[in-house]
Amino acid sequence: MNRHAVFWRVALLIAPLSVFGVFVVWPLLDSFYYSFTDWNGFNPNYRFIGFENFARVVTDRLFTNAILNTVVWMVLALLLPTLGGLALALLLDSYAVRGANVFKSIFYLPICLSAVVVGQIWVWIYQPDWGLLNSFVEAVTGEPETFAWLAKPQSALYSVIVAWSWQQMGLSMVIFLAGLTAVPADLTEAASIEGANGWQKTWHVVLPMLRPATVVVVALSVINSLKGFDILYIMTAGGPFHSSDTLAMFMYNESFKKYKMGYGSAISVILFLLTLAIIFLYFRQLRKLDEIHG
Amino acid sequence: MVDRNGSRTNAATGAQAIPGAGAGAAAAGGGGGVGVGRPFNPWPAVVFVCLSVLALLFLAPTLGVILSSLKSTREIAFGALWTIPGSLYLENFREVLAHPSVKTYFVNTFLVTVPATAGSIGLGILAGYVFSKLPFRGSELLFLVVVSGMFFPPQIILIPLFRMFSGLGLLDTLWPMIIVHVAMGVPICTLLMRNFFATVPNALREAAIVEGANEWQVLTRVALPISLPALAVLATLQFTWIWNDFLWPLIFTQSDEKRTIMLGIVSLKGQYSVAWGIQGALSLVASLPTLVVFLFFQRYFIAGMTMGAIKG
Repeated sequence: MNRHAVFWRVALLIAPLSVFGVFVVWPLLDSFYYSFTDWNGFNPNYRFIGFENFARVVTDRLFTNAILNTVVWMVLALLLPTLGGLALALLLDSYAVRGANVFKSIFYLPICLSAVVVGQIWVWIYQPDWGLLNSFVEAVTGEPETFAWLAKPQSALYSVIVAWSWQQMGLSMVIFLAGLTAVPADLTEAASIEGANGWQKTWHVVLPMLRPATVVVVALSVINSLKGFDILYIMTAGGPFHSSDTLAMFMYNESFKKYKMGYGSAISVILFLLTLAIIFLYFRQLRKLDEIHG
Repeated sequence: MVDRNGSRTNAATGAQAIPGAGAGAAAAGGGGGVGVGRPFNPWPAVVFVCLSVLALLFLAPTLGVILSSLKSTREIAFGALWTIPGSLYLENFREVLAHPSVKTYFVNTFLVTVPATAGSIGLGILAGYVFSKLPFRGSELLFLVVVSGMFFPPQIILIPLFRMFSGLGLLDTLWPMIIVHVAMGVPICTLLMRNFFATVPNALREAAIVEGANEWQVLTRVALPISLPALAVLATLQFTWIWNDFLWPLIFTQSDEKRTIMLGIVSLKGQYSVAWGIQGALSLVASLPTLVVFLFFQRYFIAGMTMGAIKG
């Protein structure tokens, strides 16, 4: 029986683990290896240059710029979809709203669109001459408006974040809605009997119960913000003047536009370590929640 | 079934207090009741109006694309983008569907998406079964390592994979995309399958073993037949993600003949730089398969997103 169990474990695990090992884990280790070289992507001869790539990266102004943009992206991509999703979930949950399922589908629809299509849609919205946004501004102010949202360094990054939030909000909403089903009905009823009004119930009873859902949404937002690439590539490609470069974008440009693969590998290693740190914090937070909620 | 599945998986990802993902759907409709016999309560109406306005705002971008795809470039240039078209103008769609490259992109995307979806789910079934029904010392840790794979940005393995496939002479073929999507799909598929198999009673497996079945027979004849909802969840998720992918074809393909649809519509953009209507039609046609999946399998899609919400 026992020998059989060993046989079956090996037989069943060998395919998934080797595919995962060869095409995910091994390349990851390989990234560390290349980060110590000056490989340019073509030349089979490359040198080991120790920590030179890392030393250069931390003094690279484009790198610090990318870090700052990633932080801005992280914070805003955390706030906008999370608060928006929470508001939508609370609204949908507050009364027996007619057509709740239709509303949910509408808010959720963007998540099944590709980043390419979402990016394209928002490029049209920000189009300076007849885009939806400027047409709307014109209608409100009565003056012609031709601000080029995506071509100005002061607005490019924020404009992309709004587009990203539009797509992500439905996801936060669904997770919060799932969390709301965990709020026992007798708890809110008891609060009503005690004379609490709608706001008090939401603030003192419902929101504290949503803590686990919030941890999940927050962790997702932070982790996903490190992946922000496709939509940026479509809308601004990191420009103008690197004003919307994130770490992922910066890594791509250095490696596949400038063919500095060794340097790019150093950036990936940093990206990996950053993600690892965030995952570690996330798991620790989850364990804390476990201890509180049992 | 999916509801129960949802709560199981959430428990494993750590969101213990979040019950069934699908259950959210049921709850949203029947939230806090309105007292019987009280005076008229205006709030439901207010909330309904609020939601309607928000829904309209939310739909505006998508509506814009649909409207522009039904208009000529001339009409759009004259500022008539946001009006309802008087007559049906289908030239844009005709042009897009007649474009020889679009057909190639579609075929390529199917050739990547279908095998990669099936492959990643297949591997997830195998690993998920062992992790839930045949645990061993260190299997928890191994599981955690595999699952954490879905948290990391793909950028961290871009360069080594590029070098690997270039060394194998596979650049500019569909193989790298299929292989990488299968490998990158292993974490989420393993996670969902393990959590689903965990809901399959052990007694069922033991009964089958006593009757002389081996693990493979238990997996294929006992566990899998009752796991169809989990398979549906994974199929919708993986299909959508792989279909929508942009990064891997960007890295691995060079010629137009090997492009998938999302990279394809970006490269066609240059050809139709001012033809917004055609671009709109392109976007819609490219999104059609995932929209169809979403419309028909929305329940599974949402359940899966909440369960494995880590990816995205």
